This record gives sequence, C-alpha cells and structure tokens, in this order.
Amino acid sequence: MSESDGKKPPTPAPTPGGRPAPKHPGFVTVTVDGKELVAKPGANMVDAVKTVGSDIPYYCYHPRLSIAANCRMCLVEVSNSPKLVPACQTPLAEGMVIQTRSPRVQESQRAVMEFLLLNHPVDCSICDQAGECKLQDYYQLHDFRPSRLEGEKILRNKRKVLGPTVVLDQERCILCTRCVRFMTEVAREPQLGVFGRGSAEYIDTFPGKHLDNNYSGNTVDICPVGALLNRDFRFRARTWFLSAAASVCTGCSRGCSIFVDFMGQDTYRYRPRENESINKSWMCDQGRLSYKPLNQHRLAAAMLGRGEDRREATVPEALKAVAEQFKALAGTEGLAVLASPVASNEDLLASLAFARDALGVRSVYVGGRPEGAGDNFLMTPDKNPNRRGLEWVARGLDLTLKPFSELGKAINAGTVKAVYAIGGEVPVDPSLVAQGFARLEYLVLQASNESPITAQAHVLLPAAVHVEDEGTFTNVDGITQRFRKAYPARADVKPHWAWAVALAQEFGFPWTQASARDVFREWGPRVAELATFDWDGAAPPLKTSRGLHPIATGADGRPPGYREFGTPRVRGI
Amino acid sequence: MAHADERQTDESPSDEDSELEAHLQTRRMMINLGPSHPAMHGTVRMRVELEGETIVRADPEIGFLHRGFQKSCESVTWNQCLPYTDRLNYVSAIMNNLGFLKAVEKLIGLEIPERAQYIRVLSSELHRMHDHLTCVGAIGLELGGFSAFLYAIEARELIMDRVSELTGARLTTTFGRVGGLNRDLPDGWIERVTKTLDKIHELLGEVDGLLTANRIFVDRMRGTGVITTQDALDFGFTGPCLRANGINYDVRKAKPYWVYDRMEFDVPVGQNGDNYDRYLMRMEELKQSEKMIRQAMKQLPQGPIIVDDWRIVLPPKAEVYGSIEGVISHFKLVMEGVPVPPGEIYDSTEAANGELGWYLVSDGSGRPYKVHVRAPGFAILSGVPRMIEGKMLADLIPTFDTINMIGGEVEQ
Repeated sequence: MSESDGKKPPTPAPTPGGRPAPKHPGFVTVTVDGKELVAKPGANMVDAVKTVGSDIPYYCYHPRLSIAANCRMCLVEVSNSPKLVPACQTPLAEGMVIQTRSPRVQESQRAVMEFLLLNHPVDCSICDQAGECKLQDYYQLHDFRPSRLEGEKILRNKRKVLGPTVVLDQERCILCTRCVRFMTEVAREPQLGVFGRGSAEYIDTFPGKHLDNNYSGNTVDICPVGALLNRDFRFRARTWFLSAAASVCTGCSRGCSIFVDFMGQDTYRYRPRENESINKSWMCDQGRLSYKPLNQHRLAAAMLGRGEDRREATVPEALKAVAEQFKALAGTEGLAVLASPVASNEDLLASLAFARDALGVRSVYVGGRPEGAGDNFLMTPDKNPNRRGLEWVARGLDLTLKPFSELGKAINAGTVKAVYAIGGEVPVDPSLVAQGFARLEYLVLQASNESPITAQAHVLLPAAVHVEDEGTFTNVDGITQRFRKAYPARADVKPHWAWAVALAQEFGFPWTQASARDVFREWGPRVAELATFDWDGAAPPLKTSRGLHPIATGADGRPPGYREFGTPRVRGI
Repeated sequence: MAHADERQTDESPSDEDSELEAHLQTRRMMINLGPSHPAMHGTVRMRVELEGETIVRADPEIGFLHRGFQKSCESVTWNQCLPYTDRLNYVSAIMNNLGFLKAVEKLIGLEIPERAQYIRVLSSELHRMHDHLTCVGAIGLELGGFSAFLYAIEARELIMDRVSELTGARLTTTFGRVGGLNRDLPDGWIERVTKTLDKIHELLGEVDGLLTANRIFVDRMRGTGVITTQDALDFGFTGPCLRANGINYDVRKAKPYWVYDRMEFDVPVGQNGDNYDRYLMRMEELKQSEKMIRQAMKQLPQGPIIVDDWRIVLPPKAEVYGSIEGVISHFKLVMEGVPVPPGEIYDSTEAANGELGWYLVSDGSGRPYKVHVRAPGFAILSGVPRMIEGKMLADLIPTFDTINMIGGEVEQ
C-alpha cells in the first residue's frame, strides 16, 4: 500500500518466475504489524497472525469449515492489494506486509459493526448468548459509538423452532452461514439454508423439514451471536454465573471431550471441547443431553434394609453392615461382583482390587447400559464410556469378565446368593433385573441414581458421578482421557473408589488412598495399558474459554456460587 | 482506658501501717492507650511504657480496622473500588475517590473535561476543610476546650450538608467515576456553598480566637511532639506535618493536577515541627481552601462532566434501554469493567494529611491486578514513637491529635 506506514521487509532477489525467493525456504515469510511471521504454506492468515500477537476479529470464519468470507469483519490491509482483503480468504504470500490495526482497517471494522448492529434487537438482557457473544466483544473493541439508525428496525421471526434441539431468532442472526456450512460439510445433512435476497435474507429449514440431525446442537455452539439457541439450555442460566470444568461425555463409548458448565452443585450443559484425536470441535445431541441424570433422581444417603425395613443409615453403619455380611461370604461361590463400565478407571481399579483381595472373587460380571443407536460420525452403539477401561483393569487384576446374562442364570439357579454391584446400570430392562435381584439374600449396591434395582438393595451406597470427582475414561479406540472435578458431591455421596477403600478398611486392609490420583498410583501400574499413562500430565488445563470469567474459585476448591447450605442465590437469574 | 499492667504490692499488708511503709514503685508501668479510648481516633492501640510520667517506649499497634482493602479491590471492577476508597480516610472520602480515579485515568491516558476538573478541585477542597475542621476541633476537645470543638463541628456539619447535597451521602461519598463525575452540581448549590463558607469563616474566627492565643492551649502545644526535619523526611512525612518542619512540599504545587495551577493559593510553611505548628498549618490551610473554593466556583465553566467514550463511561440510560449499542456497552462495562490497558503506575494527590499515593497494576482485564495505596497517615504514625519517647505522657494526646492519624487509611 502506498499510504501504509508499516516497515517493508528487505525485498529478496526475484526468482526467474517473478516471485520473490522465500526468505525461509519451505515457509512463507510475511510481516504482520511490523513483526516477522514465518508460517507454513497454506496457513490461514487469521490463525497465523495470532502467533505474533495480532488479533483479527471474525464471525464467519471457522477453522473446521469452508471459507465464506461474508462477514467482512476480518478485512485487513495487505501490501499486494489496493483494497482491504478478508484475512480468512487471502493466502499468505512471500514478503506480504499485513496491517491489522491501521486506521483504514479500524474504520472498516467499525463500519461493519455498525451495519451488523443496525437491525439487531435490544436483546442482551434476555439473550442466552450475552456474556459469550461476539457482537458484544467486537462492539466494545471496534465500534463503541451510538447507533445512527433513523426509523424502525426490521422485524423477523423471533422464535422459529427449527427442530427438537434448536430454536432460531432470525432478528439476531448476522447471516455468517456457519450453521449452514456445518450442516452441509460436517453433519453432511444440509437441513439449513439461506432464503430470500439482500436485506430480506434469513436462515431457515426447507419448507416442511426440521433441523433434526443428531449433530444440530453444534450449530448453537458455532453461532457467534444469539441467533441459534439450544432449547434445553434456553433461559436456564446466565452464562457468566456458570463455571466450566474440562470433562468427558459419558453418553457413549466415544468419550467426546467436553466442558461441563455448572453452577453450585448442578450441571447446566455440556459443550464440546477441542480434541483433534476424538471429536474435533463437535459432539452429538444425545450426548449433550446425557448430563440430565447428574442432577435428577440422585441418591443422597446410604440406605439399609429392603422394602418396609428400609431406613437411612450413617456411613459407618452401612460399612459395618456390609463388612459383617461379606466377611462370611468372602471366597464362596455364593458371592458375585457386578461392575459397570460407566465407572471410571480409578473407580474400577479400587473396586475390583477390593473384590479380588477382600471378597476373594476370580471373575466379575459386566453390567452397564444397554446398546443403542450409533452412527458413522461420533456416536457409537455402546452407551458405556469405559468398557475398554473395564476390560483392561480386569485383565490387569487377573479377573475374568462374564456377561450379565450369566449372572441372571446363576441367581435363578440359586448359586449366587449375594451381589456386590459397582454401579446401578444394567444392560436389560431394570424392572426385570429387579425381579431377579429380589431373590438375592444380600445385595450391596453402589449407585448414583434411583432405579427399580436400587429398591432391591439391602445396603445402598450413594455413588458420585464423574463430574463430582476426577479420573480417567478409556474410549472405544483405546484413548485414555483425564477429566476434572467440577463440583464436590453432596453429603454422603462418594465415588466408587472411595467406597471400595472404606470397605477394605472395614475389612482390616491397610488401604489409605484418599484421592483418585492415589488410587491410580497404587493400582494403575498393574494394568499394562495404563502403566505408562501420565495421569498428572494428561490433565486438561484449568483455564477454559475466552470472554467473561466468574471470579476465581476460592482457595478451598469450592466452586463459585457454592453454598454450604441450600442452593445458590444466583439460580434462576 | 489506661490501667496498671502490674501493680507491685508488698507481701502481707496485714496491719494498717504497712501501706505507708510500702516502697515506691520502681518498675516501669505498661499502659494500653486504646484501642477504645476517646483520644485514640479510630481504633488504634498505643502500648506505652512509663517511667513515672515519662514515656520510655511507645508502640502504636494498628490493624483493628483492617478490611483487606487491596485484596477486595482485586476482585471488583475499577469503578467498584470506589466505595472501598471511601473507607480509607473517611473524614475526607472525596479526596480518596478522586485520587484513585486520577491514577486510573492516568493509567488509561485520559483527559477529563474541564468542568469535571473544577468540580473535583472544589469538592476536594471542601473535604480538606472538613478534615482539618475535625482535626482542629478534636485537638481543642482533647485538651479541654469543648467550645472550640463545638464551633468546629458546627462548621463541619455545614460541609456535610453540602456534600450530601452533592453526592447523596454524608460520609461515604463514592463521588466521581473513571472519566469524570457521576453527577453534576445540584441547582442552587453554589449559592448555598457561598453562604456556608461565610458561616464557616465566622465559626473559624471563633475557633481561632478560642485556641490560637489561648495560654493553656499554647502551653500544651508549643514545643511538644517535636520532630526534626531530617526525621520527618526519613519517616516519609508529607502534608501539614511535613510543612510544619519548614519543608515546602505540596503535591498541588509540586506537580499541579486538574486545575490547581489556575488557583491562587499559598502553602503555609512552619518552622518548629511541633504540635503548635502543625495546628497552625491546618488553620491556615482552612483559609486557603476557602479561598480556592470561591475561586473555583467563580471560574467554573459549563460543559460535560464526564468524557464521552462508551468504552469507559456508561452510556446514557435512554441509549441503554433503547439501543443495542447502548445495552452492549452497559453490559460490558458493568460485567467486565473499564478495560484499563495493561501497565503499572504511581500517581498521587495532596490529601488532607499529605501525599495520597496510588500504585496500580492492570493486566488489561476490567479488574485491578493490584491496588496499593500509600496512605499519608501510615508514615506519620510510624514517626510517633520518635516524637514522643522521652516526653511526658500528657504530650501524647496533642501529638496524636495533630498528626491526625485516620485508622481507615492506615490500617486499610
């Protein structure tokens, strides 16, 4: 540019073809805001300039989608073009001088923002996106001036229900077409389109069709504004009150990396977390809803007795009752152990070690959720997050695994009289299983949620779910992932490993493991596949997303908004 | 209240004569002055070791009013720090508010409108008078001159009325915002201030007549609580306490800020560094402040009271409720705070008791990374043992009065 005031790099000698010779062979060397940037050929300008500390704003660009270059927010000044060019679409050229903050660029960004907000409704106070909205971020950074609109804003459909998961507010839409491109390119089911022309354009489904693809929830995540909203999450929480913990989805054996967004001791939503080797940036709608059992029908206290004899018990009382019964049965044919592949590796390590060492069993029956539908993208038919982990752990501890159907036969035959169940999930109809379990003389059940089976337990121990503790899951491909603790479990609720350690102590074993990490360090090395797993190093970083952050969690590890008694006052705001 | 720490008694005072025969006290007496003592302004405790009536050792113990000022500021946005600054020197809260804002504005590199600068000078000087009147009145009270106290407090009350008209609060003013002021002068306020100043002038004459040449008062004040100039500098004295030693240092003259360079005023300088000089400094500064307020009211220009930049200042309410631009700006400013650029800064203003300094660090978010306040009273209080050790116990009272230690700012 003639009026550009950036320093030009020394011009390399031109090659016979007329192009300058690369300064760093094999790479493209450009100058960004006066700083030299060496990038791989084909690197996207928007991503590449971040490495030298420049930031180009954008709406429509997404690294996993095709380039649309329609939002015009990423316009920058480059030395080989007289006009401003969209950074997302412009290839880096050797010797190019890029200016991301020149007055021309800033004026262009301001103008783009002004146009985008011209017909935008005054919605922040009722908009779910407020707090994580790019319109808000960029307005404050690049525009910060009053509206010059004279007359009325254009009105469109404010609540167009697109499908079971997504609702669209067409007034808030900036037509970046990220959702359209996602449905076409990633979900491979083009259910969304842009209709109309010019200022009458809007996003919609085809007439009579619905946005019902299993991956439609991702359009809400990639929507840079509050146009596409998740019907499950809508109006349930303000995002700035939520904290996020890096976790793993337990909806199927894919184990998509996610963020758990929580407030107090309740989970509000799952969001996909970037993971190149598993789920890229996506997750399925079924997995998205699999947080619900974390909040609903949870068991809170230990229970003793069955039917009319059932009563609440203290933890020592319950442990004592289990130990009394199991000491007599240990090592006999009549005692069986049922393990659930929903439990984490740490839960299984401690529980199965307890089953082998204290209860003297040589085989373990496998419970877990029944098979469901799968697809050819992320969702698998196996709805248990840790089946591979259970197989590994059992092999590492010299235990054989038996299918669940054999347990039913053994109970019917009367050979199994007592069961120690780690996890309350079963692969067949729970009411049928409950009928079978009714014949048991003694059932000790560690479960997180109420079910027909929990009613049959003689001792019911409330178990924590994965967001209430840290640990690891091994997915269907054998990838082991760490997940972090979001919030502490309520009252007497403990993770399976803690129950196992407490029971072992009641049996007189000198076990002292006080955390999932301790458990992994004790028994992890005995499992060949987990022996080399770097438990501490694999932990996802604590810092999560950009934008608004709640005030840091207190040093005692309690989540923000956590109250010792009752629910946080912020709920429902 | 003072009480004997240990009272030595002879063994078995069985018969009536033994009291007469008892030996005189030979051990030093340790007394606690405060923390709840009317002469210990705020809540400070002075552990005093006495040899007869002579102070051998004095140890001021602070912390009873510690509120975690710095840490509190780190978890709120820049503007939300203001109510915390009210509680530093609560006798002149406006000067803390505006001093803090000035430092933040310097870190941003922001020039505030002229009218706001005038109102800042005007309200600061009003609160300087408020502070000095409290100090002078209290000196009179604690040395037995109750009438002088009543006159001073009557004058102070008039200022409080004007301040509450201006800010809505008598004490915790939370006045000003980053970029200017949150409210303009109320209607008819200037006339009321003029009348108030006339009345204060009259009342100050009474106080002056009752105290300045009063034999008893002068005897208690002159030559007591002396500190050498070198010591005063070494301890970091500023304000009237330093100027009483003859050092002409006033931030308003040394590094003029706002519109102080347009004000015509003198900085009184003493020579003896004793209680009487410190008292005289304050009496004179009261007159100078009055002069400045009258000038500022006369020169006060029309115009905006806060900068027009939606990155820093909340948009007008009509825009917030009626336009998306306004509501976004409001949301971001309230939820995230003013985006002060990353950096650090030291900035100071001349508060009633001396140089009120701010060391601020910003990491670019809307909340301070660090807020350190250099409270003038802290340095001065640390010099008290030097001023009082080897002197009489009775001198401690006027000395503690004239240094005008304010618990809120010293203990933060």
